[in-house]
Amino acid sequence: MRQGDELPIIQKTITQAQVELYAHAAGDFNPIHLDADFAKGARFGGGRLDGTIAHGMMILASISEMLTYAFGERWLDGGRLKARFREPVYPGETITAFGNVKAVNEWDGARAVVCAVGVRKRDGEVVISGEASVITRITQVASE
Amino acid sequence: MMMDYAQLQPGQRISRERLTLDSEAVGRYAEAVGDASSPAAKDGTPLVNPMAIGALALSAVINALRIPGGTIHAGQELDFGRALPIGAELICTATVAQNSVRREWRFLVVSLTAADDDGNAVMQGKSTIMLPTQPS
Repeated sequence: MRQGDELPIIQKTITQAQVELYAHAAGDFNPIHLDADFAKGARFGGGRLDGTIAHGMMILASISEMLTYAFGERWLDGGRLKARFREPVYPGETITAFGNVKAVNEWDGARAVVCAVGVRKRDGEVVISGEASVITRITQVASE
Repeated sequence: MMMDYAQLQPGQRISRERLTLDSEAVGRYAEAVGDASSPAAKDGTPLVNPMAIGALALSAVINALRIPGGTIHAGQELDFGRALPIGAELICTATVAQNSVRREWRFLVVSLTAADDDGNAVMQGKSTIMLPTQPS
């Protein structure tokens, strides 16, 4: 991976059924995800919601999926992710996880690939922004 | 009964729970997020999706804090120490890192650590959550 390289994008459409599955899988039953009457008009930062929204961690998972495709086991074995949840994602919306290599740093036999990562909606609105890095031993990279 | 979140102090432990990353829990997570990447080691051993560790560790926090409806997840940091095989068992510990109020929201920053039975951290992270200080 070199500076400027794009990561493989991940695209998916979020459904309410999937949000409910996630609630059970992750034990997060906050009604802003599950109860339309509660969610409609609930505060989100400085605004108000139009209805139920997906869990932030569920949307963030698409970035991890992208990083798994890009880096394989190295993402699981020394990956680092820092993300900010900026906007809600509603069921029915299509999201795209994206990223590119910002820098490749080397020191003391290790290499860190630093990537700008995010998730955007079809209209281009960024709902998650962040940074991920994957650290590997240079000898490991050289042997591949 | 609603918890008095103002009483949470930095350094205070929120939860400490054993987490079993069996195929059922990991599979349920992968299905829910629609992740088809199926991470595996070079020898083909299926590995735990690292985000599943973060999500399940956070689940203990949600339960322990009895997070009120309308709470928003504002930010997440995750550091993965090493890949884990399906079936791994971890001890997940959550502590309060910061607790402050801005406008109509209480900002809680929670530190998460997942370690193996020998105490080696395999995941560390921080979750920033915003709790409404007034009803929606």
